[in-house]
Amino acid sequence: MAEVLANSLRFHVQRLPAPADPDPSRPVVVFLHGLVVDNLSSFYCPLALPAARAGHEVVLHDLRGHGRSERPATGYDARTAVADLVALLGALGLAHRPVHLVGNSYGGTLALHAALARPDLVAGLTLLEPPLSGPWVENMLDTLSAAALSLEDSPVPTELHSLRLRKAAQLTAVADALLNRTSLIDDIATSRVFTPGDYARLHCPVLLVCGEHSELLAGAREFLAHAPRCVLEVLPGLGHDVLKESSGVLRTSVLTHLDAVSGALVS
Amino acid sequence: MASETLPASAVLAEITAMLVEIVGDEYLLADEVTPATTFNEDLALESIEFVALAELLHQRYGDGVDLMGFLAEKDMEEVLAMSVGDLVEHIALSTSRTAPRSASLSTSLPAAG
Repeated sequence: MAEVLANSLRFHVQRLPAPADPDPSRPVVVFLHGLVVDNLSSFYCPLALPAARAGHEVVLHDLRGHGRSERPATGYDARTAVADLVALLGALGLAHRPVHLVGNSYGGTLALHAALARPDLVAGLTLLEPPLSGPWVENMLDTLSAAALSLEDSPVPTELHSLRLRKAAQLTAVADALLNRTSLIDDIATSRVFTPGDYARLHCPVLLVCGEHSELLAGAREFLAHAPRCVLEVLPGLGHDVLKESSGVLRTSVLTHLDAVSGALVS
Repeated sequence: MASETLPASAVLAEITAMLVEIVGDEYLLADEVTPATTFNEDLALESIEFVALAELLHQRYGDGVDLMGFLAEKDMEEVLAMSVGDLVEHIALSTSRTAPRSASLSTSLPAAG
């Protein structure tokens, strides 16, 4: 397993084979996954492999506490997530390269935090169903707290004899550990809701993708109204899970956007 | 590495060892894996574990087997629906194609068990 030490933490990182002669002026594409039950593998087939095949340098990693990365008790706030990302890029020797962040769900929220905090580093954004404004913090806290309680009530079996039980137990154990034995829920509760002023000072190009039936669409439209260089793509018939449900359409849009951002930087 | 010719039986043994390493030998014994073993139905492999396997395969076999191209045609559900033999076949065929000679002798898979 590719492990990288950054910000005093062990991160699981996957770098897909880079083009033989990478162009340092092109942004490195860095993927940020969603909360709790998510990890880097969500991006692998639908977007990361196609991006690598299209000639982009690709970095995937499991966020703090998720997937195969180390799970400390604290540090699940957005500020620490940005510090983790910057430290990780430094550890990978990419500190001076522009990056294009592709974030799914809460990973999109983190990508926006990173772009606002480090405009010198972030050359472009692709945000898939990011919670941005409105009551998303309260809604997410309700969901996470309910999940935490249900996991507490049904402890993970320790006697496992089959591969299938092993898989179920692993998925449950990660969620239980994150929700009941880290500060993740408390840290999400401190999340700052973005304002139109935040969007207005975002000068990198942004592709924002939302499902037609998503409750996050109103926030996306508000973002579109204020961010100077945003394109919003609404995927018909879909809800929140655009990454899983719409690989073909989404793939074309994201690859086109990545090419446009890279081309604009190089020319 | 991509220029060596590998019999399918050797590729199967190597992939099996990688799977045991990823899943853990308390759950999976090497002699339980055959070409007919499927990643999802039989091994209940998580997608993140398949990513770990792909990394090991790339390290072992290099660019010559174009694993990324092979996987990029599929979504994760299709990838996990594959059998170990599907992957063995791709790698054995790729290494035989890039090998300088004697390739055709070494691509047949052992019978599914």
